[in-house]
Amino acid sequence: MTFEPGARVRVLPSEKPGHVRTPAYLKGKVGWVESLIGEFPNPEELAYGHSGLPERPLYKVGFRQTDLWQDYIGPAEDFLYADIYEHWLEPERGTT
Amino acid sequence: MGGSPGGSIDKGQHEVEDWERLADAINGALGAKGLQSTDELRRAIESLENYRDLSYYERWVAATEKLLVEKGVLSSDEIDERTAEIERRWDGP
Amino acid sequence: MSDHHSHEEPVGITSPYAARIRAIEALLLEKGILTEPEVQDSISYMEARSPANGAKLVARAWVDPDFKALLLSDGKAAASELGMAPEHPAELIVVENTPEVHNLIVCTLCSCYPRAILGRPPDWYKSFEYRSRAVKEPRAVIREFGFEPPEGGEVIVHDSTADVRYMVLPMRPTDTEDLSEEELAELVTRDSLVGVNVPRAPSRTGHG
Repeated sequence: MTFEPGARVRVLPSEKPGHVRTPAYLKGKVGWVESLIGEFPNPEELAYGHSGLPERPLYKVGFRQTDLWQDYIGPAEDFLYADIYEHWLEPERGTT
Repeated sequence: MGGSPGGSIDKGQHEVEDWERLADAINGALGAKGLQSTDELRRAIESLENYRDLSYYERWVAATEKLLVEKGVLSSDEIDERTAEIERRWDGP
Repeated sequence: MSDHHSHEEPVGITSPYAARIRAIEALLLEKGILTEPEVQDSISYMEARSPANGAKLVARAWVDPDFKALLLSDGKAAASELGMAPEHPAELIVVENTPEVHNLIVCTLCSCYPRAILGRPPDWYKSFEYRSRAVKEPRAVIREFGFEPPEGGEVIVHDSTADVRYMVLPMRPTDTEDLSEEELAELVTRDSLVGVNVPRAPSRTGHG
């Protein structure tokens, strides 16, 4: 697995066409890997009738809401988790 | 969709109609037989030009048709014809 | 070709797609792509699923710490143990509410929902308004459903973007020590399993 729990990651800001399961509001955002959920066939390929193989790692990725939304109403400890495929994540260097 | 502005949430629940149950069932049956995947259905729904004008199950029906036609299982013409027949039957003599 | 199951004269049909899906069904059956039993099985499958299943899982977790641990670590296994067959290949992850943490489930991309356990999602769960706002203003959304997240606590949103289906394990209401597992299950609402609210309080007039 490429990412260990706790790893800081950035969601790729890619405007890849076709069916993707990475929501627009998370593109380019920085969070952390909470856990590896498992490996699954790639939905981007399944969506067009392909096998989606080889399976891709899927991570539960956490974000601080205050990092996602400028006008977020709530404490800094409010988090949002989304399930993101490894090929949509890159390591993010730098400190919190 | 996530994070877009939105108004208050309508908590009303409409009675699921028989045709909506059928839309659900056809997709479930096609999926169970490996003829269609959830991902294909999602992709087909997302690609609907009139996505925002259709209700939830209307999107399912439109997307199901799109996939069946795409795969050459049915043609839009025969669906049109049969739909017209059914509507005539429902409208009565 | 004669009709079958629920094909009587429609009453108050509201959509042109009603006839269209019937046409699609008729054609698929004629061509042998699907059979009547397959369609009927699919209808029955959904009709058998309801929030009562989720309530059973929660009530069992409230009374049995080992089951609770299983529910939180392997949702599919826990569901199977109670005779519920969860979806393949989707995973089922159950997230626990605590005095400090309140969880909210949404699918912004479509309407992913643990249908194999709970049945069809409510209309509001599928609405553009819920899907847009639940991720950005979860506290306001929860308030709209009549629940005030606890002061000083966290609200955690889970966007079901992939092959995982999520369900909330709400906190057991207070003053429920004397209730049976069935009575506990009756307190668990569908809305509390999604996270827009919490379970009912026990009735003050006695059990259940």
